[in-house]
Amino acid sequence: MIHEVVSILEALLFSMLEYAPALIFASLGAVLSERSGVVNIGVEGMMRMGAFAAAVAALSVPTGVSALAGMAGGAGLAAIHAYLCVKWRSDQVVSGMALNLVALAGITFLLESLYSPTGTPSIQQLTRWHIPVLASIPLLRGISGHSAMTYLALAAPFAFHLFLWRTAAGLRLRSAGEKPAAVATMGISVSALRTLAVLGSGMLAGLGGAALSTSTLDRFEHHMPSGLGFMAVAAIVFGRWTPLGAFGAALFFAAGNALRIGLASSAPGVLEVIPQGFLLALPYVLTLLLLSTRQSQSGAPAALGTAYDPEAR
Amino acid sequence: MAEPADAGRPSRLAESIWASLPSALSVGLSLLVCLAMIAVTKGSLAVAGEAYLEMLQGGLGNFALFNETGRWTQFTRPWGESATKAAILTFTGLSVAVAYRAGLFNIGAQGQMTVGAVSAAVLGAKVSLPWGLHPLLCLLGAAVAGGAYAVLPVVLKLRRGVHEVISTIMLNWIAVSLVENWLVVGPLRASAQAGQSISGTDQIAATAALPRLLEDGSRLHAGFPLALLAALAAWIWLFRTRLGFETRAMGQNAEAARAAGIPSARRLMQAMVLAGALAGVAGAILVLGTELRFPATLGAPYGFDGIAIALIGGTHPLGVAASALLFGILRAGGTHMQLLGVHKSFPELIQGLALLFVAGRLIWQWALTRRPRRAPGVPAAPAPPAAPATSGGGA
Repeated sequence: MIHEVVSILEALLFSMLEYAPALIFASLGAVLSERSGVVNIGVEGMMRMGAFAAAVAALSVPTGVSALAGMAGGAGLAAIHAYLCVKWRSDQVVSGMALNLVALAGITFLLESLYSPTGTPSIQQLTRWHIPVLASIPLLRGISGHSAMTYLALAAPFAFHLFLWRTAAGLRLRSAGEKPAAVATMGISVSALRTLAVLGSGMLAGLGGAALSTSTLDRFEHHMPSGLGFMAVAAIVFGRWTPLGAFGAALFFAAGNALRIGLASSAPGVLEVIPQGFLLALPYVLTLLLLSTRQSQSGAPAALGTAYDPEAR
Repeated sequence: MAEPADAGRPSRLAESIWASLPSALSVGLSLLVCLAMIAVTKGSLAVAGEAYLEMLQGGLGNFALFNETGRWTQFTRPWGESATKAAILTFTGLSVAVAYRAGLFNIGAQGQMTVGAVSAAVLGAKVSLPWGLHPLLCLLGAAVAGGAYAVLPVVLKLRRGVHEVISTIMLNWIAVSLVENWLVVGPLRASAQAGQSISGTDQIAATAALPRLLEDGSRLHAGFPLALLAALAAWIWLFRTRLGFETRAMGQNAEAARAAGIPSARRLMQAMVLAGALAGVAGAILVLGTELRFPATLGAPYGFDGIAIALIGGTHPLGVAASALLFGILRAGGTHMQLLGVHKSFPELIQGLALLFVAGRLIWQWALTRRPRRAPGVPAAPAPPAAPATSGGGA
């Protein structure tokens, strides 16, 4: 009995860690952009771009290198976002949604023109790392056997936390999102800070997309990332716009998804009692519940969503 | 832009042309960029031109074939397809536009549309009513469901300061998950008939379907005139009534509106519920007009398209109707591009790019007003600019 429970938990842990990197990277990307004051709901489109670019690149270069193409793809879309929102003070939500629509239809078009309507050809998946000691311990065995993406995704939030809260650059970046005028008073360019943050956000979202097409699966599929970008937005709200909070939320959502997939394949009877739709809706219901019960401020940066106009003072 | 004195003030018409210029140029630029994209991927400009011709013929009708056969169905069938798409886009576009005018960004049209569609499908299949009343009941039910689904974002915004973009994104996925992955595959799944399983809900009763306007196989149905009426009504409400004025004042400057004694919470709630109701009706039009049931999935993300339609239409109800009609035609024609190996969702790319260019509204304004400095005294009135097409400030 105990043995069975352990093996079930082990499978869940493994499945969660397979699925989580995309969500973690995308959430970190969204945190980066929004901490600098720029709303980024274009994460979904940037992930799609990254997933596609990485899969296409992996057809001709080693898969490890192709992740860079994914990051470049995401950053390319982010550059448009930054240009419109930072330089031209466009509506950040409109720009983000436009990028989502462009990435959705544009990549569908490219996919059909270049490969097939359903996806790219298969590529060499990222190498899986088997960690010698862990692989022999029950339960913790689930941590072993993933690609570098997973381990990077487990470490990145902590590095990111240190960057935001322990370095001068991180402080400036956060200030640009809280009180941009104060940053400008110090002689630092708010526009440059925000542009860099949005570009970094695109890279991370692109990396998240690349994780989907090179690590979780072995090709780009036409529906990718099927809403993960919006789930990343939920994760940062849930995690109060902090890297570690978003990380926790992303892991939690990934665990929920692992549970759903696990139930669907091994215990379909349970899904007759608790329909899949409930489990799919759960992350969003929880985020809404959290938002509606939280007494204090939501933790969003004060200047989030407002364009900074240096001439407006 | 400097405010000139009353002398030489342009007429209302000139003003509205000026106001819609960025949108028109954005659509034009997007059409060009997309043409170039096909030309590059297919390696020939001729193929790209042919694809565009297919798209136009698919949406508007094939004149050459009409000359040959003399059949009006050459026109009425494509028009029917264009009009049904335009009707849905008009409603979701109005939904976003009405909320936007009140200062709310309704990303949630997709979710509101989903609950509206499923309500219409249930009312259409489970209730029996005479012919005239049944569609009305379904439309009303969809409007109520969509409107009710839009209440929570306003409550959260007023009580907790939660931005409506975030709450409506969450509500979208909740609606889609619960309806498509639970209701439609569970309690509401169509009963299998004669051995073949049908995806989606039960088919609606014949009395509930929106009446077709033509008898020749064109799918043109009552939803299209209804959409035009809705656009007209929204225009009157927003621009010709006190309530609409107060709602727009909220969107222009909520603080000033509050100071002027406008009951801001109530106006926000009204605008958002109206937005939800409009999106809900869009779902009903899809179900009662073409699908005749809630299909396994809604297919095109019409709710998200509403954002593009609304902003390309300048969030003006009549502009929304115009842009919905344009993209309805393009999207109905999109299926015909498939013949040339261009995916049928290509018009959505045109639409997305146009939205992106509209987002850079300030760039257009800068490009259109940039010209040699005039001598002082001559008002720099917004006159139609010379050769705006050469301005490269789009992307």
